Amino acid sequence: MKHSYITAALLIGVIVALVVGTELLGIRLYDRIVTNLLISLVLVIGLQTFMGNSGLLSFAHIGFMGFGAYTSAVLTIPAQMKGMALPDLYGFMTGVEVSPLLAMLVAGIVAAIVAAIVSYPLMRLSDAAAVITSFALLVVLYTVMNNWSAFTNGPRTLFGLPKVTTMPMAAVVAALVVVVALVFKESRTGKLLRASREDEVAAAALGADIPKLRWKAFVLAAFIAGVGGALWGHFITSFAPKSFYLKETFLVITMLVIGGANTVTGAVAGAILVTFAYEGLRGLEGTLNATAAGAGQVVGLTEIVLAIAMIAFMVLRPGGLFPTREIGHILARMRRKKETSA
Amino acid sequence: MLEVRDLSVSYGAIRAVRGISFSLGKGELVSLLGANGAGKSSTIKCIAGALKASGGTITLEGKDITTSSPEQVVRTGLATVPETRDVFPDLTVAENLMLGAYLHRRDVAGNRDNLERMHALFPRLSERSNQAAGTLSGGEQQMLVIARALMSRPSVLLLDEPSLGLAPAIVERIFEMIETLKKSGLTILLVEQNVNQALAVADRAYVMRLGSIVASGTADEIRSTSDLSAHYLGS
Amino acid sequence: MAFTIQFIIDVLSLGGAYALMALGLVIIYGILRLVNFAYGELIMVAGYTMYLSSGSGLPWIVMAALAVAMAVVFGIFTDYAAFRPVRAKSVTAVLITSFAFSNLLQNAALLFISPRPRNVPLPPIFSQTVEIAGAITPVRNLITIAASIVLLAAVAYLMRKTTLGIAMRAAATNFTMARMLGVPANLIISSAFALSGFLAGVVGILWIGRIGTVVPGVGLEPLLVAFIATVIGGMRSLPGAVVGGFLLALIDTTLNYTLPQDLLKFRDAFTFTLVILILLWRPAGLIKGPASGQRT
Repeated sequence: MKHSYITAALLIGVIVALVVGTELLGIRLYDRIVTNLLISLVLVIGLQTFMGNSGLLSFAHIGFMGFGAYTSAVLTIPAQMKGMALPDLYGFMTGVEVSPLLAMLVAGIVAAIVAAIVSYPLMRLSDAAAVITSFALLVVLYTVMNNWSAFTNGPRTLFGLPKVTTMPMAAVVAALVVVVALVFKESRTGKLLRASREDEVAAAALGADIPKLRWKAFVLAAFIAGVGGALWGHFITSFAPKSFYLKETFLVITMLVIGGANTVTGAVAGAILVTFAYEGLRGLEGTLNATAAGAGQVVGLTEIVLAIAMIAFMVLRPGGLFPTREIGHILARMRRKKETSA
Repeated sequence: MLEVRDLSVSYGAIRAVRGISFSLGKGELVSLLGANGAGKSSTIKCIAGALKASGGTITLEGKDITTSSPEQVVRTGLATVPETRDVFPDLTVAENLMLGAYLHRRDVAGNRDNLERMHALFPRLSERSNQAAGTLSGGEQQMLVIARALMSRPSVLLLDEPSLGLAPAIVERIFEMIETLKKSGLTILLVEQNVNQALAVADRAYVMRLGSIVASGTADEIRSTSDLSAHYLGS
Repeated sequence: MAFTIQFIIDVLSLGGAYALMALGLVIIYGILRLVNFAYGELIMVAGYTMYLSSGSGLPWIVMAALAVAMAVVFGIFTDYAAFRPVRAKSVTAVLITSFAFSNLLQNAALLFISPRPRNVPLPPIFSQTVEIAGAITPVRNLITIAASIVLLAAVAYLMRKTTLGIAMRAAATNFTMARMLGVPANLIISSAFALSGFLAGVVGILWIGRIGTVVPGVGLEPLLVAFIATVIGGMRSLPGAVVGGFLLALIDTTLNYTLPQDLLKFRDAFTFTLVILILLWRPAGLIKGPASGQRT
């Protein structure tokens, strides 16, 4: 697939441009925003590998991000700090301290294993039932994080993760994830899965075991979410389970849906667009809160605007900004058109 | 009574019905004939309001019903029996019939009389009144759907392939019943692939092929047209 | 003996509430094939209506009626805001808009009322307890049982004996055919949303009556309960939703009584595991819904 290479090159180009541009500007705040954006990119593309190919919405994605973040935390918080950060940690774990990079990989694997076990029966459900049980799954993952004090310090903030995530590092992971998502999309599993969405009977006749295909995509998505979570954990260095719940879920789904869930290009575009809108609206909220009328009472405005934008998109452009074709494909077609008309 | 002029129906780029015109006079039984895919069912669905016309007009007793919703069409006195034989399988036979009389739900006495007439016309339905409609045989379901349509007290009845997939003996019964309905003064548009039987009961007929009307006339004229079978074989 | 009675009352009162929650959700899904993510917010609306009217000096029962009425109004409004514009589009589009709408309502409550819990007026009877054969139980549990019996019977009557109910069941299998018999589509859709809102309103008052306060996220747990109960029960079957609700309550209550204290916080995780096991055994749920049915 030649235009997949073009797509990959272009999307990675966008990531590089963002990073280089920010480095040149040299403003710390922008550095933070862009790093956050790149991490969101990882999460959104992760969700795209499942949703874009299977056509099913998954609400559990952020739960796997949380599992990844906590896994990496337990593995990397320095031994001497563990007594304070995780007072209830099981004895044999207190001495464990591995390199953050290894920990991020393990984080992905742990998230994938958990996803593989819990999602297997869910993928056999009908579409609507599968989606709503994924929502229930998010709540359960949250409950576990909130209460498994030994690993998570309960609902309290966990601190002490080494700060290793830098903007270039987030960019490298994001670029890798772009490639993985494009490769998966063009793989046999990805193609069959997308075919099954159009016509379940025909795909089954081709020998597609649809629940199993969905399951593979779900596990891959959870792996990416786990890595993304670890990446975020080593950027923010302290967090609580409530970071991995509905608010974050809403944001990631907004990004994917506005960009276009069917394409990796859409995931990238949505993450960029919504991040900027989000930061702008947060700034506005802050300004309003500083005024006498706002008086620190303005909360939820950002979410209201995003929710309205999401509904508007669903009504006017239900496929998002990039509903069917990747950017490489679009450009190739444009060139072909120009050639034929010339 | 029913007047269809230049009616077109499209599914995306595919034009299923290409500007057809026909009419039904009061008390007439007109048959719309044609092979599979000729556009007959699309025409019926469009008249019933279940499908949007892409062009043309449909008038019922002088009233334009081209853009009417299904519920508005039935209110103007046109009842439809779709080819898919849509009984509500989880509802009992009695409940199915009761919904047929939805428009007249306040006229309890009138519905009771009507129901008695239906039971006289279709004795099997009265025997199975409390049975779920999904458990009936194909022929019984067809009778139920027709009876249900009649409960709405229509002046025009559209019958889409009532004989489809039924055993010959039952087809015989259905056509006898269609004749009885015709004698009662009902205006009927009968869509059929079963040409001989349809022409035996029809006053007039139209033949459709690939979305257009290719022949029309009285039943006798159509029967004597030598190329009728050609239209069916599509040659 | 006292323990048995206590257990039964717990299961029945929790199950009654769960069944009503599930029923309100499945009415929309069963007939219209729409998953209403904003269902929990109807409960929130009922709660805030109670809070906002608490200073009015109206009798409690009037405030409660007002709360239910507001839930009905918002139920119908949900249809116009989140479903009607996208109904013709994909299943996912419908899910996303209702999810967005749910977020919209929650954040509106956050912005215009408060993130903090607000007290809801409750008659004194809600905090009283009675003793039945040695078992001490809150009166509100008995009220919940009574209310759910009455409502379940009323819904059953509506669906089986009235023309509107029969038309709704017909629309659940074949919406177009129902319309071809003269049943107005809008009547069915609005009735379904109104009924869903009505159930949410009543269950909202009962549910919020347990805690006495309302917060923007109050609808989450009822929504979750409704989701799980309907998946167990079979997604499109009204009796299935009721069975699913009571079964879920039985599981929850049993776990409440049997799990040691430090595992009790994981109750939801255990419940979910059991649900997964049920689904492994029966992926389509316990009770099959209406025969066919297409989205409208």
